[in-house]
Amino acid sequence: MNKTGILFFPAFDWSLGETHPEREERLLYTQEQLFEEGVFDLPQIRQFAPGMAPLGKALLTQGIFPHPAKHDLTAHLIAAGSTLVLGEALAEGQIQNGFALVRPPGHHAGATVLGNRGFCTLNNEAILINHLRSKYGVKKIAVVDTDVHHGDGTQDIFYHDPGVLFISLHQDGRTLYPGTGFASEKGGPNAWGMNLDIPLPPGTGDDGIHYVLENWVLPRLDEFKPDIVINSAGQDNHFSDPLASMNVTARGYGRITELVKPDLAVLEGGYSIEAALPYVNLAILLALAGEDYDGVVEAEKPTRPQVSFTSLVSRVKELKAEYAQAQPNWVWRPEPYLPDGTWAYIPRMIYYDTEGFQEVRFDRVRKCAHCGGTVFIESRRPPSRGRYALVRIPFGACPQCSQAGYDLWEYLIGRVETVQLQDQAGAQVLFWHLDEGVTHFSTS
Amino acid sequence: MRRHVGIDVGGTFTDAVVINEEEIEKKAKVPTDQDNLLQTLLSALDRLGLDGGNPVDEITVSTTLVTNSILQGRFPPVELYLLPGGGMKLESLSWPVPYKIMSGTIDYRGREILPPDELQWRRILQERRQNPLKSDHVAIVGKFSHRNKLHEDQLAAYWRLAEPEVHLALGHEWGQANFYRRSLTTYLNLASQDLWLEFARELERAVGERGCHAPIKVLKTDGGVLPLDQVRPVETIYSGPTAGVLGAMAQNPDASYVVVDIGGTTTDLGIVLSGSPLVSARGAKIGPYKTLVRSLAVRSVAVGADSAIVREADGLSLARYRLGPAYCLGGPAPTPTDAMCYLGVVPYGDRVRAEEALASLLPDEHHLPADLTGLAESLLEEMAGRLAAEIRAMEQEWQDEPAYKIWGVLHPHEARQFYVWVSGGGARGLRDFLQKQLRVEVRVGRFPEVSNAVGAALARPTFSCTLHLDTVLGRFSLEESGEQGKWQGSIRPHAEVDAFLEKSAERLAAAKGIDLTGTEKEPFDFFPIVQGYRTVGQIVRGRLYVPPGVRGHLNQRPEVGSRRSET
Ligand SMILES: [Zn+2]
Ligand SMILES: [Zn+2]
Repeated sequence: MNKTGILFFPAFDWSLGETHPEREERLLYTQEQLFEEGVFDLPQIRQFAPGMAPLGKALLTQGIFPHPAKHDLTAHLIAAGSTLVLGEALAEGQIQNGFALVRPPGHHAGATVLGNRGFCTLNNEAILINHLRSKYGVKKIAVVDTDVHHGDGTQDIFYHDPGVLFISLHQDGRTLYPGTGFASEKGGPNAWGMNLDIPLPPGTGDDGIHYVLENWVLPRLDEFKPDIVINSAGQDNHFSDPLASMNVTARGYGRITELVKPDLAVLEGGYSIEAALPYVNLAILLALAGEDYDGVVEAEKPTRPQVSFTSLVSRVKELKAEYAQAQPNWVWRPEPYLPDGTWAYIPRMIYYDTEGFQEVRFDRVRKCAHCGGTVFIESRRPPSRGRYALVRIPFGACPQCSQAGYDLWEYLIGRVETVQLQDQAGAQVLFWHLDEGVTHFSTS
Repeated sequence: MRRHVGIDVGGTFTDAVVINEEEIEKKAKVPTDQDNLLQTLLSALDRLGLDGGNPVDEITVSTTLVTNSILQGRFPPVELYLLPGGGMKLESLSWPVPYKIMSGTIDYRGREILPPDELQWRRILQERRQNPLKSDHVAIVGKFSHRNKLHEDQLAAYWRLAEPEVHLALGHEWGQANFYRRSLTTYLNLASQDLWLEFARELERAVGERGCHAPIKVLKTDGGVLPLDQVRPVETIYSGPTAGVLGAMAQNPDASYVVVDIGGTTTDLGIVLSGSPLVSARGAKIGPYKTLVRSLAVRSVAVGADSAIVREADGLSLARYRLGPAYCLGGPAPTPTDAMCYLGVVPYGDRVRAEEALASLLPDEHHLPADLTGLAESLLEEMAGRLAAEIRAMEQEWQDEPAYKIWGVLHPHEARQFYVWVSGGGARGLRDFLQKQLRVEVRVGRFPEVSNAVGAALARPTFSCTLHLDTVLGRFSLEESGEQGKWQGSIRPHAEVDAFLEKSAERLAAAKGIDLTGTEKEPFDFFPIVQGYRTVGQIVRGRLYVPPGVRGHLNQRPEVGSRRSET
C-alpha cells in the first residue's frame, strides 16, 4: 500500500509570546480535528515521531550570525529535524508522500540568519532539501510555495542554485509582507529561470489559484522534471485569514495538493487558528492520502470580494509577459580580493519584522558554466559594525569554484567578526569566530 | 494475612492461584471450556479448595468472555446512529457494523454549528414502529460529542419518550477524541452488556453458594481491577496478555524488560519500563474493531508451545493452530514442546514419544540422533526467530511514539538495559534459543506456568481522570466518565484548576469504589486563547491517575543464565 507519512509536531509548550500568532494554541484545534476524525486510523497513514536536527545540518544551508549560540534554536531544530525524519522516510521508500505538520515555520528564513523573520528562524524545507542531496544524492528538487506570503527565505537560499526550482504563489508583494516576489525575480546568473514568482491579486480564490497551477506551475514542473517536489503548505490563502485576502477554501487547498502532488508538504504560515487551520490541514492530509476531502467544509463562509475569473486570466497573461521580459538584477563587479573569475554583485536589504531591524547584505556569486558557482555573502546589522561572511561551495562544485571558496575562507578569517564556510560539495561546515577560532560542524 | 485468588482463563487452560502475602499457597490448572467459561472458572476455584473455612480476601478473574463473544460475533444486534457532521467521509474508514446517518454538527471546541433535524428523528422512530426486527439496543454517537454532548442528549431524550424500554448508549460516555473508535467502542460495550451482567450475576451466586463471600473483581485490559458490576464489559477484552505483564511485574520489581508469555497457540509480548508497564498510545483493537479501550502495549504472536508443525512446499513450519497437547504429553501430533522434550530443555514429557514425533517429520533414512537434534533445534530456532522479530518491532514502535511537546523531544525515554522475561509452558525450553537470537539476557521465573494467574491475583485498581477545560466557552469535560459540565471558575485559572481536578477525581473514584492512593499527575497544559491580540481565556488539559501496578511481589530468586550451558 502507498503510505502517507504524517509528522504532527504542534510544539504545545512553545510560543513566540503569549498573544503572538505563533503560540501554543496554533495547532490545538488541528489536533482536535485530526484526532476526532480518526485520520491516524486510515490504513495508509503512518505517523512518525519528531526528531531534532543536528546544528551542522542547518549550518550547511544557512549562515547563522553572529553565532548560533546567540539564537534560541531548540524549537526550530525540532521543526527542521521532524521534516528530516519524514524526508528520510520518503527517500528510503517507507512512504509515498508525507506531511510535516510542524511549527515553527521556516520559509522566511534565508541564507543568512540574524534573527527571527516572519516567525521563521530556520528554513525547514531548505535544510531538508540539502539533506536529501547530501545523504541520498538527489539531484533535482522543486519547491512549490503556496503560502500567501512570498517564500523569500527559500528563494534567497536557492537563488543561485541550478539544482532547485523554486516557485512561489503569493499575494502581490505590493499589498502584503514581505513586499518581494515579483515576476522579474528569475534567479542568479548560474540559475537564471530557476526562480518563478507569481504575485497574485487579492481575491484570487480557488478557481484562480487552480488556474495558475494548471496553466503555469505544472507545465514548468513538467519541463524541469524534478526528482522530488516539496510543497511549502502555508494556509494563509484561506478566506478567513486575518492579514491576507486570497479567498481560498479548505477544499481549494485539497485541490491544490492534488494538483501539485507534492512528495512532501511542509506546513508554513497560516494563523487563522480556528476558522482555517483545522479544516485546511485535514483537507491537505486527506488529499495526500488519496481520500475524499469534499466534506471538509468550514463553519464560516467566505464573505470577501472575489476577483473575476476573466480578469485573473488576463492578469496571469501580463505576469507571464513580465517574466519573459525580465532582466538580470546583478552587475559584474570585480574586487581585488575576490578569487579568479567573474563575480556578480547584488546588494540587498533584508528586514527582520520580529525584532524590527535591517540586515545589509552584499551578495556575490562566481559565474560558472560547470556548477552553481561559489557564493559569497557579506552581512551586517547596522548600527553594529561587525561584519559576517558566508561562503558557499555548492553541491556538484567544479574544482575552480571549490578552490575559490577555500581561498575566500582563508582570506576572510581575521578580517570580519564571523566567517562560515558551507562546503556543500565536501559535506562540511567550518565556522570561524573572532573569540573562538575555527569550529568544525558535522553535517551527517 | 491477606489471601488473594487470581484466575486467568486462557485459550487452552485456565490457571488459578492462591497467594498468601508473598508466597503462592496453591496452584491449579483446568482445561478451558470456551462454551462454558462460568463452569471453567468454578472448577478452577473448586480445585483451589475454596470454602468458608479458609477465607480469602479477594478473587480476581481475567476472562475471555467478552473477547470471545466479540470475535465470534455472538452479541445481540445494535442499531448505530451517527451524527458525523462534515469532515472526512465515513467510508474512508472501514466500518465493521452498519450505521445510519443523522444530521447535526458540533465543532472541535464543542460549538453547535448545525442543529439536528427533529423531523428526521420522527421519521426514524416511525420506521422503527413498523419494523418487527428492530433492536432494543441503540447506540448514538456524534462527532465531537466528547466536547459537547448536546445532540446526543437531545436525541436520547426524544427516544426515551417514544421508546422507554430501549437500551440507549451515548458516545460521549467514552470521552476521548476519535469519532470512529468512539462509535465502535460504544457499540461493542452496549452489545456486550447483557452477556456480561448475566455472567457476573451467576458467578457471584455460584461463588456465594460455595460459602465464599470474598469480593469478586475483574481484570481490565489496562491492568486495573474493578468489581464485576462496575466494569464496562468491553474494558475486559484481551486481559490475558495484561495478566502476563502484571505476573512478570510481580516477580521483577522496578526493572526494565520485555515480557514473553508463551501459551498453547499464541505468545503474548509486553514491555515494562522501570517497573511500569508501557501503555498503548491508542486504544485496543479487537478483530475488525478499533476501540478507545485503554490497554497495555502488548502484542500477540500466533505461535505457541503447542502449535502444530505442518509440512509446506519449502519445509516444515509452525501453524497458527493447535491439534492438541504435545505428542510427548499424550497428544496427537508433533509440536515445539516435543522438540524441547527431545533436547532435554524442559523437565516434562515422554522422551521416547518426543523422539517418535520428531522422526515422523523426517524421511526414514534420516532418523539418526544427529538428524533429530538438528530438526528439534531448527524448529525452536524458527519459533524464537519469529518472537525475536516481533520483540524488535515492538521496541521500535515504542521508540516511534509521537511527542507533541518540546519537552518530550528533549527528554525521550532513556534507552535502558533490557532483559527478557519468559513465562508460560515452554519458557525453559525456549530460553536459550531466544537468548541466541536477541543477544540479551533471558530470564525465567520460578512459576512460569501460572504467571498470568499471579498477575490477576496481584493486580491493583488503576484510575485516570483527564480534564479538558475551556474557560472561554465555560465548559469542562472528563474523558474517562464522559461527564460534561459548566465551568464557574475564573477565565485564567491556576491553583483553582488543580483543586478542581482533584475534586473531580475523588468524585469519579468514589463512584467506582476505588480508593485513591498512589496518584500521579501529568503537568497541566495551558493554552492561552487569543482573540484580536487579547487573551480571552484558556484551554487547560490535566490528568490525575494511578498507573497500572501490582500490590506485592512474589518472594523468589529468578533463575539466571542458560540451563544448557550448565550441563
Ligand atoms: Zn505566510
Ligand atoms: Zn564552478
